[in-house]
Amino acid sequence: MLTVALAKGRTVDDLMPMWRRANLPAPESLDDSRALVFDVPDERFGILRMLLAKPADVPAYVSLGVADVGVAGKDVLLESDRDVYELLDLGVARCKLCVAGRPQEQAERPRRVATKYPKLADAHFRRLGQQVEIVGLSGSIELAAVIGLADRIVDLVQSGKTLEANGLVVFEELLDISARLIANRSSYRMKRQQIDVVWQALDNEVKSYE
Amino acid sequence: MALDLNNTWAERPAGMRDVFPQQARLRRNVENELLDLFQQAGFDMVSCGAFEYVETLTRGRPVRDVETLVQWFDAVGRTVALRPDMTPSIARMAAPLIANGRGSVKWSYAERVYHRTSDPASLSWASGRAAESTQVGVEWIGARGPEADAHLLQICQRGMEAIGLREWQMVVSHASIAPALLETFGVEQSAIEGLLADLTRGDYVSFQETLRRLGAKRDVLKQFALCDPFKPQTLLDLIDPADHRPCAEDARRAWQELRDLAAVLRDVGLTEQVSFDLTLHRDLSYYTGLVFEVFSPGVGAPVAQGGRYDDLLESFGAGAPAVGFTFEVERVLAVLTQGAWLHGHEDGHGNGEGELC
Repeated sequence: MLTVALAKGRTVDDLMPMWRRANLPAPESLDDSRALVFDVPDERFGILRMLLAKPADVPAYVSLGVADVGVAGKDVLLESDRDVYELLDLGVARCKLCVAGRPQEQAERPRRVATKYPKLADAHFRRLGQQVEIVGLSGSIELAAVIGLADRIVDLVQSGKTLEANGLVVFEELLDISARLIANRSSYRMKRQQIDVVWQALDNEVKSYE
Repeated sequence: MALDLNNTWAERPAGMRDVFPQQARLRRNVENELLDLFQQAGFDMVSCGAFEYVETLTRGRPVRDVETLVQWFDAVGRTVALRPDMTPSIARMAAPLIANGRGSVKWSYAERVYHRTSDPASLSWASGRAAESTQVGVEWIGARGPEADAHLLQICQRGMEAIGLREWQMVVSHASIAPALLETFGVEQSAIEGLLADLTRGDYVSFQETLRRLGAKRDVLKQFALCDPFKPQTLLDLIDPADHRPCAEDARRAWQELRDLAAVLRDVGLTEQVSFDLTLHRDLSYYTGLVFEVFSPGVGAPVAQGGRYDDLLESFGAGAPAVGFTFEVERVLAVLTQGAWLHGHEDGHGNGEGELC
């Protein structure tokens, strides 16, 4: 059996078409039920078990061996800094990590920054030599800028529509983000053949786009 | 009401973990099994103080390793730190003996080691770097050659058998091959360091992106993974036969060393649970030859690890080849009890499975 932890939401939505094209086992539908665990029989794996996890938790699931492999965004991998093998850039669920805020703040010196990524935000402003106060929030980061809790936010931007709807603009793009295939260090050694099947199949799909 | 809002009870420092009756017994049993085995193999147990001068700990190692040390100033203002592993202490203790003519030093140890970390203990024992953990290992100073390396791997495999660890995979490589090959492929020295760090972290995406950006035409990662010491051409074909630059010669010489080791291992029947993988790179830059890690299901980090460091003793004042390895006891216990050991409590760890021999 091979257990795969997938980041719920946009990552898994973007991944599944590619996963199916790569001829990897998948349940009929991941979103018609509220289930979080799916077992799919397959001759190559015996059973392929899919776990749907909160994106930020996928690296922990994989590093602790609850899942052998996982798919999560580069953003959570960098922020969590867990001991896992990063095997493949899947090129899906693309977005950018950005600094944003209300337009009138752009010329001002940054003072307080709200973000789900305190480590990455701190690294960025430290690099600029700017002393800021980081406020760690767990969601709806835009709100912090709108109501003036913070004069900057550091968050993922995909289309920019949410920012626009809240009257915010991107000040600076920090990093291109995409989904990555990761593996537990011990599983990578103990279940190498099964992991290679997934790795190879997805790699072929990625290459066919290049 | 049950919630203790007055903080009556003393707090445990972050990263520390209490070990209750049955757990503690189990850990001591594993330590003893391993020490007995090492003693039979001729490795005498030694011990020393838990802290060393930082200057001692950083000999032969990159200065950035200091970041993970738990350090402070002693009464006269010198920086001291809790040992992150036993190798520097053993090198310090053995160097004067070697300098005074002793041919070889074979020592074993069972000690706690310390790191700075923000992870809670039960997590970091299973994967990553723990604030406090137990290492039981051996150091063999004065021996070189494939027979010595193979003997060490044999002791490690016997150790697994002695403590009842059945499912494991030993991954073996040679520390000089990857850097020498990358140089042969024309990669700048400054980029090689980053690429090796990628291999250590297991960030194969960054490894391949960097090589692509440098204009590499080949899939280096795959070529590394396909190198098989029982098929010499798998590596030799990657180097132009007319290439006699030092890096090419280094790669060939290191490859020959790994092939010699593989041959000895096969002769003594130790290759069954061993795989060779040139993408394995260990974070300590002092390794000069053999490097290996042992993995077991259920923990995301090696249960045992080691390698050859022929240049380290020189920085302690007496040049001698050396090789060693250590078991990570808490990870071993996590595997043996399917994780139950990590969550033991005051009534014993409440689990009948995973009994030791």
